[in-house]
Order: sequence, then C-alpha cells, then structure tokens
Amino acid sequence: MMRQHPVYLLFGVLLIATLGFAEWRGWSFARATEVKNVPRSVRDNPGSYRPAYLYTGSGRYLRGK
Amino acid sequence: MVAPSVKGLNCPNCGAAIQLRSGELALTVACSSCGAILDAKDPNLRVLQEFKGRMRWTPLIPLGTRAKLKGDPYEVIGFQVRGIRVDDTDYFWREYLLWNPYKGFRYITEYDGHWNDVVVLRRMPVETGGRQPVVEYLGEKFKHFQTADASTAFVLGEFPWEVRLGDKAQTRDFVSPPHILSEETTKDETTWSVGTYVSPQYIWETFQLPGKPPAPRGVYANEPDPNAGSAGALGRMFGVFAILLFVMFLVRVVTARSELVFRQDYSVSSHDADSTAFVTPIFALKGHTSNVRLTIDTDLSNNWAYFNLALINDQNGTAYDFGREVSYYTGYDEDGRWTEGSTLDRATIPSVPAGQYYLRVQPELGNDNPSPLGFRITVQRDVPRVTFFAAVLGLLAIPPLFAAFRHHAFEQMRWRESDYAPTSDDE
Repeated sequence: MMRQHPVYLLFGVLLIATLGFAEWRGWSFARATEVKNVPRSVRDNPGSYRPAYLYTGSGRYLRGK
Repeated sequence: MVAPSVKGLNCPNCGAAIQLRSGELALTVACSSCGAILDAKDPNLRVLQEFKGRMRWTPLIPLGTRAKLKGDPYEVIGFQVRGIRVDDTDYFWREYLLWNPYKGFRYITEYDGHWNDVVVLRRMPVETGGRQPVVEYLGEKFKHFQTADASTAFVLGEFPWEVRLGDKAQTRDFVSPPHILSEETTKDETTWSVGTYVSPQYIWETFQLPGKPPAPRGVYANEPDPNAGSAGALGRMFGVFAILLFVMFLVRVVTARSELVFRQDYSVSSHDADSTAFVTPIFALKGHTSNVRLTIDTDLSNNWAYFNLALINDQNGTAYDFGREVSYYTGYDEDGRWTEGSTLDRATIPSVPAGQYYLRVQPELGNDNPSPLGFRITVQRDVPRVTFFAAVLGLLAIPPLFAAFRHHAFEQMRWRESDYAPTSDDE
C-alpha cells in the first residue's frame, strides 16, 4: 500500500514532521508584529508606547506612530 | 507454428482466389474481393448472398495473420462488422474470427480503438434479476450494461456458421472490468461469450502489425480504470495518516505544558484610550520557544472594547504587538432573545522564546454602554492547538479525494454509454 504511492507517502511524512516541529516551536497562522528595542521606560509610562501594527478591522483604530 | 492446410478455390461471383483455412468446419465464406457470401460446403462455392452494401471495411488485422494468444497459435480466418442503432445513430464494431485446429475458435473485437479477446462460454452464467440485472460466472459478478439489437453489416473470410449480411441478434452485455460477458440471442440459439479487455499495443505486438494502433476513444464498457486501485490505496494511506495525526494530537495535548503564567483582574471606566494604558507585573515564560496564549475575559454587555496589547521582553526589549477586539450585544426581538459576539477572546502569539515578560495593555472602551469594563487577563505558555492538525488533515485528504474524483469521473464516462447512463441536471 505504502510502496504504491511513494510520493504521497513522502508528502504525508513531510507534512506530519513539519506539523510536529511547528507544534513544538509554537508556530501559528496568527502573527504578532515583532518590535525590537522597546525602551524600559514603557514600564514607567505605559501611555507613551505606540504599537507598531496596523489595525483596520473596525476602523476605530488606525495605527501607532 | 505449423501452418494448417489451406484449400484454394475461386469465387464464382468475381473469380478472385478464396482460401479455406478451417477446412470442413467452414460453413460460409465471404469473398474478400466482391464481398459475396458463398456456401463453403458446396464444391462450386454457390453464391448465397451478393454484397450490396454501401460501406466496405478493411480489417486492421488482415485475414491469414497468425499470432500466439495465451500461448496457443491462432490464425485470423474471418472478419465481420456488426452494428447497433441507438437514437438513429449507428455504432459499428469489428470482430475478427481466429482459428486453431486444436483449440477451436476465439474472437478479437474492436470498437473505437478498444480491443477485447473473446471466447465462447461452455456453461451458462447464473442471472439474478433486479432493476439492473447481474450475472455470475466463475464467482465473478457482472452488471448489466446494455441491451441492443445487433445486425451484421459486413463480412470477409470464412465462418463456421451460416453468416449473412443483415443477420439479427439481440445482444446483452454485462461488465466486470476488465471482463465483459455477452449474450447473443437469435431465433435459433443463445450463446454466451466472455471478453477480456486488452490494450491496443498488445494486439499490435501480438499480431506484429505495422505502424501504431488507432488511439482508443472514450471509455469502453469493460475498460479497467488504470487508476482504480489508486483511490483505495490512497484512502487507506490517508486512514493511517489520520490515525497517526490523532495519536500525535493526543500526545501533544498530554505533553503540552499549558502552564498558567499570569492571571489578573482589571477594571476600566475611562473612555479616553490615552489614559487607560497600563503594564502588568513581570512574569516568566519558561522552557523552549513555544506559543503563548492570552485570554481576555470581560463582563461586556452591549458594548465593545478594543485592546492594544504588547507582550514585551523585559530583558532585551523585544515586543510582540497585537490588538484584539471584544464585543458583546444582546437584546430581544420578535423571535426572542438574541446575542451577537462574545465576552471572551483568545489570541495565540507564536514562537515566543523563554524570558521575563510583561504585558502592556491599552483598552479602548466603546460608548454604547456607560458601565465600566471589568476584564481578566490570563496568559498561558505552550498551549496545544488543533489548527495545524486540521490543516494537515485537510492537505493529506487532497490526493485521495482527487483520486476518488478521477475514478468517479472514469466510471461516469463508462456508464454514460450504457442503459444506465447517469443523468445530469441539464437532462
């Protein structure tokens, strides 16, 4: 059975191996915008921080600076 | 191969040379020159029927061609074209009569480039009724394919029966690819034969014919689907993969830490977003790089809230920015109570390395309800998710589904030519 379709076997094994790795590393289809070097002052003044992602879902929020 | 004795004669109609290869067994012989059907038992080859047809056919396997079939030598001694009429359209097929002095007769038939190796049955198949009759022969079940009235349109060579142009017979075909059972009923007798689908290349090689065989058109009644086994084998492999995925998912659920790393209740009453930002205490995300799940559980009612969120690494300043909207509305109308949205929202941040983190939260509260917003933030580490498992399962299902669809399409094409043609919406 498995020898009949080596390409499908390889496809399945690769997919499942990738899945295992993805689960181990915590991959997700959802993404968060990664920002480097956020200053420590954010802890003292949270209102000064502006997120770097663009949100267009509801129109209520446009974007950070 | 030892050549059988050949008796040479001349056609009394046109004078062309005629050869009798099957000797005493030949009852009629058709002149290959003028097409007249002659009495092979008569020493003077009395003319039984003159050819008055409009169409003449040239056999693709010439009379006299010899070949080994199933290890036995045969010679082509007769050729006839027979046809059926369906919806005012004539469909013709060609039959080659083969002869071996020790093995007897067998036939090679051809229709639209599809070939069958046919032998007459010595025992009757068992038939069961039903809307689509089934016959059983040697343990194999054949489904009824088509019933038609066939007539002989053209003959060449010799035959062990009294052949005539216009001979009528009712034919019933039953199929079990690659086999086909055919019943032919005349007013005098009923005969059954079994055919086995063979490739055109096999015929060309066996009879050592020049050139290339005509390409088959469409799908023949007993043509085996070259991919018939594929759908089943792929389906079984998919089953194995699906079980493996399920086991992997169980293992993942059991081994995932789903560690609660932070939980805190908050309240917000201001509708001014700039004044609502706050940061959480620092919490530790341990272990290997993995996901982080953030759950926001609110007491929203007929209002919305938008959360600007940043998961910030206190040690290296790396932040993961994202936003979540929560809205929940409820009320009553003529159909009763309705709700829209949810008071709870979950977000998963992928691939977050271990470290000391805090959340920067900036809630924005809608103006639809003046009540303050209470909410709980929960952070969990290394949470199993079903999304990838479902995605992989879906991807793995594509090849077997495609193979099944292709097999189904092949069978649809086969049965389209039968008495049980699948109907479409257009019909």
